[in-house]
Amino acid sequence: MKKLIVLAGLTLAASVAATAFAQESYPSRPITIVAPFPPGGVADLTARPVAAAMEKALKNPVGVVNKTGAAGAVGMQFVATSKPDGYTLLLALSSISIIPEADKLFGRPPAFTVDQFAPIALISADPTILVVPADKPWKTAADFIEDAKKRPGQISYSSSGVYGTLHMAMELLSHAAGVKLRHVPYAGAGPALTAILGGHVDALASGPAVVLPHIKAGKLRALAGWGDKRVAALPDVPTFKELGYPDAEFYIWAGVFAPRGTPEPVLAKLREALRASVNDGDFKAAMDKLETPVVFKQGDEFTKFFEADARRLAEGVRKVGKIETK
Amino acid sequence: MTETLSNLALGFSIALSPPILFYAFLGCFVGTLVGVLPGVGPLAGISLLLPATFGLDATRAIVMLAGIYYGAMYGGSTTSILMRIPGEAASVMTCIDGYAMARKGRAGAALTIAAVGSYLAGSASVVGLMLLAPPLALFALRFGPPEYFALLMLGLLVLAYMSSGSMLKSLAMATLGLLLGMIGIDQMTGYFRYAYGVVELGDGIGVVPVAVGLFGLAEILATAGLATPPQVVKPKLRELLPTRQEWRESAWPIGRGTVLGFLIGIVPGSAHIIASFVSYAVERKLSKRPEEFGQGAVAGVAGPESANNSATSGAFVPMLALGVPSGPIPAVMLAAMMVHGVAPGPLLIKQQPELFWGFIASMYVGNVVLLILNLPLVGLFVNVLRVPYPILYPSIIAFCILGVYAVNGSVVDVWIMLLMGVLGYLLRKLGFETAPIVLGVVLAPMIEMALRQSLAMSDGQYSIFVSRPIAGTLLLVGLILIILGLKPLVTRGLDWRARLALAEKGQEQP
Repeated sequence: MKKLIVLAGLTLAASVAATAFAQESYPSRPITIVAPFPPGGVADLTARPVAAAMEKALKNPVGVVNKTGAAGAVGMQFVATSKPDGYTLLLALSSISIIPEADKLFGRPPAFTVDQFAPIALISADPTILVVPADKPWKTAADFIEDAKKRPGQISYSSSGVYGTLHMAMELLSHAAGVKLRHVPYAGAGPALTAILGGHVDALASGPAVVLPHIKAGKLRALAGWGDKRVAALPDVPTFKELGYPDAEFYIWAGVFAPRGTPEPVLAKLREALRASVNDGDFKAAMDKLETPVVFKQGDEFTKFFEADARRLAEGVRKVGKIETK
Repeated sequence: MTETLSNLALGFSIALSPPILFYAFLGCFVGTLVGVLPGVGPLAGISLLLPATFGLDATRAIVMLAGIYYGAMYGGSTTSILMRIPGEAASVMTCIDGYAMARKGRAGAALTIAAVGSYLAGSASVVGLMLLAPPLALFALRFGPPEYFALLMLGLLVLAYMSSGSMLKSLAMATLGLLLGMIGIDQMTGYFRYAYGVVELGDGIGVVPVAVGLFGLAEILATAGLATPPQVVKPKLRELLPTRQEWRESAWPIGRGTVLGFLIGIVPGSAHIIASFVSYAVERKLSKRPEEFGQGAVAGVAGPESANNSATSGAFVPMLALGVPSGPIPAVMLAAMMVHGVAPGPLLIKQQPELFWGFIASMYVGNVVLLILNLPLVGLFVNVLRVPYPILYPSIIAFCILGVYAVNGSVVDVWIMLLMGVLGYLLRKLGFETAPIVLGVVLAPMIEMALRQSLAMSDGQYSIFVSRPIAGTLLLVGLILIILGLKPLVTRGLDWRARLALAEKGQEQP
């Protein structure tokens, strides 16, 4: 009997040691970054260079898996319920804080909550910019807002989908400026851009990279940006903050998250790897080509940014409320 | 014109350079495989392989991705014809007559017609893309939600021509399809409809699991239920080629399918599926023997297969000329360009002539490659039919599950496919046709979205559908089609009266 106890004790000790060893040697097997959107989207295009750079930093394979569906909810839910061991990470966009809030609004069981994630690091944050077709009369954001006040509900805009990022950006502006615009949702940012290029809507809030060629070609005109600072590629375009609408602040950002409960040493290692990654030459070149500015924040700084953003978006969703159709 | 020719010469000098040629070939080859695998269509194929192109330069990446796109369109017909499993969604119509031909021992002919039709349509539409891209792209952009709605209503009218049996039964199936298409997030309000807490159902029921289930799986279940196993069709070599008669019957459908597919293809949206449906309906309407459709009419293979291939080139028109993400596949290809630092936009043709003309030329080359690749494969693929059923069918089921899962990595999709297989089997036993269900599932979300976007644009005014010229014209065409559809009721009456009159005359002449 004694022998058995000793044996059991030894086994236990051995297994504890094995666990400790496993933690020490993290990572010891391939890491998966889940991009909750299809290939070619912002999440995917950010995740791939991040994964490549992390692979170098950790000297361990890092792969990207696109787990898509329900505007990102499927992939986010998948990571939220994954084992918190540092081998399944999430590359999320701003919508991570919108989805649970929208679920709340409709009183349905949330697919996941923000609390189920441990923020690791912010990779990029791109302010949206307001564009209108070049043949429209508005030359400045002031013209636009003034006209919108005169004709409530007459000026239309396209978005990537109801409660999507581009919808939220426009709603934040509407509330900040006290105007009412007409919302025409599309199924994704691509169709929303096609709609404004075809002249079917009057305005669009968009990430700068995809509209820049059309601004340069004289098809679209940029009126203002939602950022804290002006967009580098468009130095003449003011921010809403400068124009006196500080609440109209919005970024399409990308950050890396782990499931809540991931051990601190693992998180520390991941933070360190991500810091090394954003300084990697190939990574910088990749982000340059996408014309997406790298904005790196981690630890408390990221948590603060994330919480402020989540608060703004939650308020945005609540202000929009349930959409009643006629 | 001389400028176009010199540009094209530049393009060919790029397209025929060994590395580009290699990637074009690789793209076509991978695309053919993607197309042959049940369910996995061009979008899934391109998405899965996009990361692999990140290491290449922009022209190589684009040429390879385009090769996958039209390669998948070629390959999609193979399993449709041989096993009644749509290789991708746009091959649904090919299943009907292609498989019927295979059952009659004409599998080789059907495959050859599909390949040649695809080749002619692919090449002809590249000419269209090259010469007409800028003006056509501007026209395509004028298709907003109201125009799209009108176009889709026309598509819905097509349903009426699809069935070879009872009109009531086929409309019932179309309604079932439209209802299934209602499942998922309400795009305008964010409500979940009929999702029952399954997050995956938020995106609705995909076309792929429905089509593979209703066609492929149901066919296998139905065959397994036969008292005597069907005869294994042993194709003979000389039967591989279409007869002179079959060529004659295919010529016009290929021509019409090409034009139709190209025009529908340039409209932003998932048009290549609709192109094949519309082409099938048109061929049936124009055919002298419409009763043959569904029983192995060669025109029912030639038309839709040509249409879905020229629609792929059509889809590139707004993408290349204006940098507009005009559909899911062009959107992925634009992303691929951005990864390589090429900003897609209206200035692409001027700023990146090597890319644009290299791409155009590589499409000519790619179509030739595909023809060379596919014709010898006809002989090989047909041999699949020699495999005894106890081995063939379980492997087909395995490939169906694999293919459907690969599209989204979703187990829910696999369950949908299995349920649809059972449903398809029951419906077949009861004598219902299942193609209208697939069309309903494709059209329902698009029609709903377009209708509600239009009304959001006009603040609820229905006049938007008639006040815009393109939408108004399309709806008028629809109205004329309905009236023409009613004509047989009247003319049949006349026939009957005419016959009676003849009979009376006959009585007068002893």
